[in-house]
Amino acid sequence: MGLLTNSASFVRYSVEGEVPPDFWNFAAERIRANAFRDIDDNFDERSVGWVSPLNMFDSEFTYASYTVGDYLVISLRIDERKVASAALKKLTMKEEERIKRERQIPKLSRDHRVEIKENMRLMLLKRAVPIPAVYDLVWSLADNTVLFFATSQKAQAELEDFFKTTFDLYLQQQIPYLVGGRLLPAEAADRLADLKPAILI
Amino acid sequence: MDLVDLMTEKAFLGQEFLTWLWFKSAERGGAVRLENTGSDVEVVFEKHILLESGEGDSYEKIICQGLQAELREARTGLAMGKKIEQARIMLVLDQYEFRLTLKGSLFEFRSVRLPKTMDGSEESDDAGAVEAKLLDRIGLYEMLLRTTDELFRMFLSLRVGSDWPRELARLTAWIREAG
Repeated sequence: MGLLTNSASFVRYSVEGEVPPDFWNFAAERIRANAFRDIDDNFDERSVGWVSPLNMFDSEFTYASYTVGDYLVISLRIDERKVASAALKKLTMKEEERIKRERQIPKLSRDHRVEIKENMRLMLLKRAVPIPAVYDLVWSLADNTVLFFATSQKAQAELEDFFKTTFDLYLQQQIPYLVGGRLLPAEAADRLADLKPAILI
Repeated sequence: MDLVDLMTEKAFLGQEFLTWLWFKSAERGGAVRLENTGSDVEVVFEKHILLESGEGDSYEKIICQGLQAELREARTGLAMGKKIEQARIMLVLDQYEFRLTLKGSLFEFRSVRLPKTMDGSEESDDAGAVEAKLLDRIGLYEMLLRTTDELFRMFLSLRVGSDWPRELARLTAWIREAG
């Protein structure tokens, strides 16, 4: 559902804040510092970073640049290890039973059970294969807007945070009211603020 | 007012826009004149309209799916005071055919299908061809957004202007025809 797929979903943002005059050098440095780092070979729970929209394994932009004319075209990749709650519950109960039998005690303390659960969670996390999600982004430098190819609120919140971390610039989602303020002359835009819903029946 | 409050308080703007756009497209057999270019865009509401009413416990939604003729149920929903929250729309501009589902309250563009401009033989993996393909698609997305922006600007100019009561009377008469 991205920039290059047959069917795509997206929202529009405006970029708020001062974009540095030597933008492409600034962007190159920030993207390099926040490029995606693989967690397949370690036990990190999650990793967030930038990759090429043409290849989610290319975080050095070896095969394609993110510069496309007057646009920055890049993808946000989020890899996350997830633990199924049913599996966690099963293994926690199994371990509790094992310890109770071994020590011949009827009950475990609450603290001990919390500790067992956390140990089981870490063990399952280490075994879990990170699940990737990739979302494309097009930043138009001419009008300082971003098209983000995801409509899930979780993905949008991730982008807003990570864009701020990377570029020190804020994204503001272009909901109808804000689009209207931009499209109308100032005097008409002021009247938007006072509008109430119309009765259409 | 922060963004979250604005999203809720002003959600009606996008919903009213979708209702107005449907009415506008019905007025001239699908053609809507764009004021900025003077050219017509064909606007067709098709297959899918989602209407909502109420909030919290009294929230209701109905989904009308089917061919154009069957969207009469959606018109009846409007006559009962429901608002269009989401609609599947085809826009034809200079022979470029776009299909999209527009979520009115947030202006989310969903399941967008762009017109085909390149055939398979032109596709290649070399850097120049990839950049051309990306620019082609970005150009089409911008064409779509310029068109929806202009339609929305036309609606808002009317909505905050002195002609709104007359437009509203025409719009409500059209809704009542189906009720």
